[in-house]
Amino acid sequence: MPTTTTYSDEALCPPRAGTLYDVLELILDRGMVIDVFLRVSLVGIEILKIDVRIVVASVDTYLRFAEACNRLDLERDSRSTTVPELLGGGAARKVGKRKVKNAAESVGDTVRKAVGGRGDDDQEDDERDDDMRDYDEDDESEEYEEQEEKTRPRRRTPSRSGGPARRSVRTR
Amino acid sequence: MTSGNVYVYAIVPAGTVLPADCAGVDDPPAVVRVVEEGPVAAVVSASPLKLRARRRDLIAHQELLTRLSEDGPVIPMRFGMVAPDEEAVRRQLSGSRATHLAVLHQLDGRVEVNVKVLTAPDALGALVEQDERVRGLREAARVRPGHEANLRLGEAVAAALAQRAAAAGRRVLDELSSLAHAVAAGPEVRGCELNASFLVGRDEYAVFRASAERLAAHWREHAELRVAGPLPCYSFVAAEGAPAPAEV
Repeated sequence: MPTTTTYSDEALCPPRAGTLYDVLELILDRGMVIDVFLRVSLVGIEILKIDVRIVVASVDTYLRFAEACNRLDLERDSRSTTVPELLGGGAARKVGKRKVKNAAESVGDTVRKAVGGRGDDDQEDDERDDDMRDYDEDDESEEYEEQEEKTRPRRRTPSRSGGPARRSVRTR
Repeated sequence: MTSGNVYVYAIVPAGTVLPADCAGVDDPPAVVRVVEEGPVAAVVSASPLKLRARRRDLIAHQELLTRLSEDGPVIPMRFGMVAPDEEAVRRQLSGSRATHLAVLHQLDGRVEVNVKVLTAPDALGALVEQDERVRGLREAARVRPGHEANLRLGEAVAAALAQRAAAAGRRVLDELSSLAHAVAAGPEVRGCELNASFLVGRDEYAVFRASAERLAAHWREHAELRVAGPLPCYSFVAAEGAPAPAEV
């Protein structure tokens, strides 16, 4: 059985198989941790966790919502409850959607960079990794273990155990 | 070139046979092997000299765990667990044998399904109709247009959409919980109002998924639901192989 992702608004489309996108935080943040083992060089993990879906807490987003909201023509169509009608035949809707998409794409690029781009492009991969390492060194809170470069000062913050304390689990 | 360290993917029952053509992290992909110690075993490979959270390595880790969990119970390791050598792996396996066996038993025949609840952008029309405060701010922005008025309106809309999604998400969570053996809150994901994983029997998966899809359709004007599975049971193991804690 392949791993699949379903989107509620694309219920009729075949689900995408083998995507990393929706399980990234589980791979990086869940799973068993053994304290005597190391966890090495996880560069850019904070960036990986940036989620691209809808960034609600930003001025840009607020203004976008306001714009879309102002375009609604409730007076003309006040009985209607379906969104496409409320949004006045698609023009407003299109604008809104396109903007959301653009935003998603640009953050998507960041995530792609953070995970090192496509696996088949090693040269580019390493350049990106270097960028990510620079980022990482600025981030004191980062879980960090440089193995391959002994000349570099070693630094390790107490590893986040990911254990029971941070989690709420219910078992029936 | 490898570091001499051992990358650990998973803990499985002894006697587990690796899937054909399975590949490990690194480029070219490391050869995956099984280290057995009594009744339990670890799935390992040589660790790359430069291991990073790259896309291909994350995919290799995830794919291997997914394929292993299709054939039997698996304790998935978090990405990036590296033991100094094979001896350290053996010591860990024998030292925590009882807990490993208990967790493997608990996960046998079960899969993880992750459900994320996000705001539904398409809910805007219904929201403006139903929310008095938003309607008021919208009117104010029309009478006296400007950056400030727009900001206040947009902020109110964003908050209301999030609230709406979270409320719907809690209903969905309640319903789906009744179909699962265990529920674990997922890591916080920006943009997600709710992120939860469910432990579901492999034979119950189809029913669970159908229910999730029915709920997604039902609440589509309130929230967007994203369902991923079946997954290795990442969220139902804890540090040092202890079973995930019961009850909040």
